[in-house]
Amino acid sequence: MNRRLVLHMLGKLLLLEAALLVPSLLVAYYYRDDLLPFWYTLGILLAAGLPLYLARPRDGLELHAREGFAVVGLAWVLLSAFGALPFMFSGATTYYWDALFETVSGFTTTGASVLPAVEGLPRSILFWRSFTHWVGGMGVLVLTLALMPRISQHTTHLARAESPGPSYSKLLPRMADTSRVLYLVYASMTIVLIVALLASGMPMFDSIIHALGTAGTGGFSSRNLSVGAYNNPVAEMLIMAFMFLFGTNFFVYFCLLRGDGFKAFRNEELRAYYGIGLGAIVLIAINILPHYGDVWTALRHASFQVSSIMSTTGYATDNFDLWPQFSRILLLMLMLIGASAGSTAGGIKVVRTVLMGKVVRREVVHTLHPRKVEVVKLDGKAVPEATLSQVGIFLFVYFALLMLGTLVASLDGHDFISCFSATASCLSNIGPGLSLVGPHGNYTSFSPALKYMFSFLMLAGRLEFFPLLVLFVPSLWRNGR
Amino acid sequence: MRIIIVGGGKVGHTLAEQLIEEGHEITIIDRSEVVIQRSMDELDALTIQGSGVSAGTLTEAGVQQADIVIAVTISDEINMLCSLLSKRLGAQYTISRIRDPEYMKSLSFLKKELWIDYAINPERNTALEISRILRYPFSGGVETFARGQVEMMDFRLGPEDGLIGIRLQDLEKRRPDLPRVLYCLVERDHQAMIPKGDFVFEEQDRVFVASDIKTITSYFRALGKNTERVHKVMIMGGGRIAYYLTQMLLEMKVQVSIIEINPEQARTLSEAFPSANIILGDGTDRELLVSEDIGTYDAFITLTGRDEENIMAGLSARQNHVRKAIVKSNRDHYADMLTALGIDSILSPRQVTANTILRAVRTRMNAQIAQAVQRMYRLMDGQAEALEFIVHKDDPFVHKPLKNLRFRPNALLGVIVRGSQVHVPGGNSMLEPEDRVIVITLDSGVTALGEVIL
Repeated sequence: MNRRLVLHMLGKLLLLEAALLVPSLLVAYYYRDDLLPFWYTLGILLAAGLPLYLARPRDGLELHAREGFAVVGLAWVLLSAFGALPFMFSGATTYYWDALFETVSGFTTTGASVLPAVEGLPRSILFWRSFTHWVGGMGVLVLTLALMPRISQHTTHLARAESPGPSYSKLLPRMADTSRVLYLVYASMTIVLIVALLASGMPMFDSIIHALGTAGTGGFSSRNLSVGAYNNPVAEMLIMAFMFLFGTNFFVYFCLLRGDGFKAFRNEELRAYYGIGLGAIVLIAINILPHYGDVWTALRHASFQVSSIMSTTGYATDNFDLWPQFSRILLLMLMLIGASAGSTAGGIKVVRTVLMGKVVRREVVHTLHPRKVEVVKLDGKAVPEATLSQVGIFLFVYFALLMLGTLVASLDGHDFISCFSATASCLSNIGPGLSLVGPHGNYTSFSPALKYMFSFLMLAGRLEFFPLLVLFVPSLWRNGR
Repeated sequence: MRIIIVGGGKVGHTLAEQLIEEGHEITIIDRSEVVIQRSMDELDALTIQGSGVSAGTLTEAGVQQADIVIAVTISDEINMLCSLLSKRLGAQYTISRIRDPEYMKSLSFLKKELWIDYAINPERNTALEISRILRYPFSGGVETFARGQVEMMDFRLGPEDGLIGIRLQDLEKRRPDLPRVLYCLVERDHQAMIPKGDFVFEEQDRVFVASDIKTITSYFRALGKNTERVHKVMIMGGGRIAYYLTQMLLEMKVQVSIIEINPEQARTLSEAFPSANIILGDGTDRELLVSEDIGTYDAFITLTGRDEENIMAGLSARQNHVRKAIVKSNRDHYADMLTALGIDSILSPRQVTANTILRAVRTRMNAQIAQAVQRMYRLMDGQAEALEFIVHKDDPFVHKPLKNLRFRPNALLGVIVRGSQVHVPGGNSMLEPEDRVIVITLDSGVTALGEVIL
């Protein structure tokens, strides 16, 4: 590994994080909050980032796959480690593991919280928490690629390591242009949502917080009862719609922007995503009808919850943990599937589910006709066998981590459904689970060691395992130059 | 510019890499998944898996908005068809690689009918390169500028040249017999540098000099180098390059022998070139070479399809006291090693092709922007470039003494051509409109004279 290059890139990212603190500083200034937590963090980031950044690599700017993965893995760990500092300095958390958990949960757009009551916290801290969602959703390195001058032609490795989904497709020839278009679409949609929420009667600060949380499909709220606290059906419907939209592959929006609507709607993942979503809404609405008593309320809560869980956001309008068993289990399944590749959401991703379904179908046919040759196609194009086997490997790692995580989580002595849903929720970057960690629950009661483990699982899930797992391979750390 | 490259093999890849560095938007189309994967990993370009002759794929690549479509797949027919399709679909300019000599014969007709704007024949270009090297056997390469008025050549300094240890600013005093030429560029230990006044020549330096043809010739005569003209050449491998090269060499009244292993091909060659000496046999066979008096040849050129065979045969010829060995090898990273072993020139047809297309792209760009690179050569594996510009009357630096102007670091204002006069500039020289200027730079991607004179 070219260590100097990796350190240089990490320095760059720390400086970027320092810049990302500026909006929170402004919020703190506006609401007359304590500015010091942010100034301290800013100073530490500059002190750590500048020397790394200035130690430019002498030679070899070639960013190979190993450097790309190392940068992405380390960057996310470092950004979370430093991003936790405002929570510590402001006294929002007493222990570092809580601050780290909260920040990782922010950057990975999980939305799981260990803060017992958010309503008493300074607004600037709440803003920083939600802002990490927004940045983490589209990706920090993608942002770097959009803003900073190109250092190597091999930057695809960075984007690929950070972007969720089985295959990465560029939209425009230049990486920097692709990143810019993505962020432009992302930012515009966020602004539209802020304005719409304001119009629905939500207060200014809350609109921004919920728009940031929705855009990143994160789920941090400024209220203890999440979106349910407002009892505002219009705002709920807006957030519901936008959660679905942010869980959609951004490639679709790019096609629409280019006026290629046919191509956008031919996208198989898109159709499967909304198909599953609609199906789940109908089933859950029927199931919870007795619980609420009228169709409209049932539909309202069902659609919001399905959208929230499927897009891995984790907002809640009601305590779905009290719903009938069928709805709870169905939501748990949606947690595993997640939303589309190339979106800001987590989970296994719909496209992987679709591909696996096709592979299974092919395998069944193959058992009957052993010599049959069949190519798996997606959107009318052949899918390379390598991609298919990667999807299989991904699924195995996902379920292996899910099982191991549940096992370790059980050490605290909590019940199975709590341990399992908490692990699944962290791996899929959702936030709430069932039972103990349900929408009205919290992760506070887990022991510090488990909070570290959940932080790891959230990072692993967000980066789709491999950028984080390669950090444990000793040969990566040998200096190549 | 928006450029689509069809065929992401070695040539396509090299081209894309260079064009991206120069700031173009590149889209690569290739049918092979492996090639696409590699391009995706290593290049900041859009990659599309598909056929270059499918209108759907071309449209997906944005052919309507493309400034240039470059077709460099292995098949001539696909390249030609791709050019035709692209042009009809709205591409501005098409470049196509066409290598079959049969097509070359009717090239102008094909170009017109198939809407190809620029056709490149790698084999012919490589042959042209070799014939140049043969004409100036002491030199590793000759580049021409200003409609052929200026030539730039490189040679490796030996003790017999009497330049070693001399400082560049003392050169005129120490060697008054040498005609004044411009020392553009020096390669020492694989590193390119632009020699300044305090530069001291060392043995094994590869020196690039430029001037008008007459001065260059007398310069090398003064160095005692031009006695080495080539009269007798042996070519190993009778493929397409050999075909074009023989044609050129025979015109230059050079005796040519070709060793070809395939009887049918040998017959074809004999039919095409009655005055050449065609030998049926294996060029790596030492017995055969000795029996053909290999030692009496001035140059041995290896052009078979296998790089390893070419290299080994070249080395063996050097052992048999052939003065010059020129080797075709597409693996240009061997070049350093081979020069150390005594091979004089290593030619990579792919590199030649990429260079020629790059030149064409730049010329095309010039058609779009006012001030222009007239000619461009990449030197020393792209470490340096030599560029030719024309001075315009609106340029801010016109009519100002050069010593009052600021220059880009890592760049050298080389030769000034005014009408038919060639000058090596000094501090008091001035640029005038319509002057042709040759600039040497260590940076890639310079597109205007204004980027050199700041």
